[in-house]
Amino acid sequence: MRPLSPDEREAVALRHPEAAPGEVEGRLDEYERLLADRFAQDPDLPLAPEAAGLVGDREERLLELHRLLFDLPDEG
Amino acid sequence: MADEQVSIAVIKDGNTAKPDPFTVCIIANPALEAPWGSGQFLPDQIVGARGAFDSCAAHIVDCLYGSLPGQGEMLLAPPDIRDEVRIVTLFVAGAGADDSNSLVGQDAVSNILVPRRAAFAPFMNRHGIVADIAYAVSSSASHARASAWFTSDDDGRSGVAFQLDGIQLFHRHFCLVPGTIAIHVDERSLTALHEFQHALSSYSNGKIVDLYVDGSLGVNKKRARPIPPAFGTYRATQHASDPMRDGLGYPAGWGTFHCGLHLPSSPAVMDNYFQGASPLACQNDTVTRQFLLDRLRAKVSR
Repeated sequence: MRPLSPDEREAVALRHPEAAPGEVEGRLDEYERLLADRFAQDPDLPLAPEAAGLVGDREERLLELHRLLFDLPDEG
Repeated sequence: MADEQVSIAVIKDGNTAKPDPFTVCIIANPALEAPWGSGQFLPDQIVGARGAFDSCAAHIVDCLYGSLPGQGEMLLAPPDIRDEVRIVTLFVAGAGADDSNSLVGQDAVSNILVPRRAAFAPFMNRHGIVADIAYAVSSSASHARASAWFTSDDDGRSGVAFQLDGIQLFHRHFCLVPGTIAIHVDERSLTALHEFQHALSSYSNGKIVDLYVDGSLGVNKKRARPIPPAFGTYRATQHASDPMRDGLGYPAGWGTFHCGLHLPSSPAVMDNYFQGASPLACQNDTVTRQFLLDRLRAKVSR
């Protein structure tokens, strides 16, 4: 997927002036890694239940990070 | 379908002596799934922007052939590949906003445009096109990041065998599912090439992955600390590692490492090219370039 530009990363950090040093960067790195991992896995490959569970966990974590990074309300 | 207006333009003929030349199709996405996976669809405004679509398609072609000003990586330019690749555009106006016409989804957890990979081949086939790699161009108002699914090779058919770190794999001639890319109409820089390289690679015979994250491994990324001098062996050629990550440096805590670069002063094409002084100048690492050129050569030789 297209990487984030330095300006885009900075824009995310500016949304969280109260965050501890490195906190937003760490969350953003995890967020980007999980997004990239999604595309590196064959979406049509049948998964064992355990593997399917890991995929579900990844998407749940992505949702959580998306809310944290972009100040979105928790609709859960 | 009776209300559809279909326009197919041949940008590059490819090898017209072949019944099925290696083909890249660039498509104006008729409908967006919003959000991705929801089963809800809305028209993609790209179908009312023919000029913008054509400009994007021209940019994509320039990017693949390395003809953007100052571009360093010229993937399709080698003489034995250049004229073998067929490139067509497909613009369908008046298609309904439904599952069969939706090639792109808007990710619910990011601003990524996600290719709906299963929809591409049936959509293209309805208009007489079979492609190995396909781009869907969108003018989504909310999502602008491009992404790609890799090719699902047809491992039941022919291919060219190769050894990767002692394991035999194949550059397959044909695919079960083409490599698919979703890209925004305003996208420029090296993104079209970066995504093409993902899409050209294979889930079963070698993945070209993102280098700007400490995640999934592939042909171009391994995991070890300390970083060994030798990255790996591809077709009996040993490739050196990149100990410095093209000047960007491996962040503390990372466990993955990359192959040595053709242009060490700039990030790799599969890394964060935006962090280079001149993003268009970025080139591939040595194993990525050779792997992809070999894969292209296998496909254009079928």
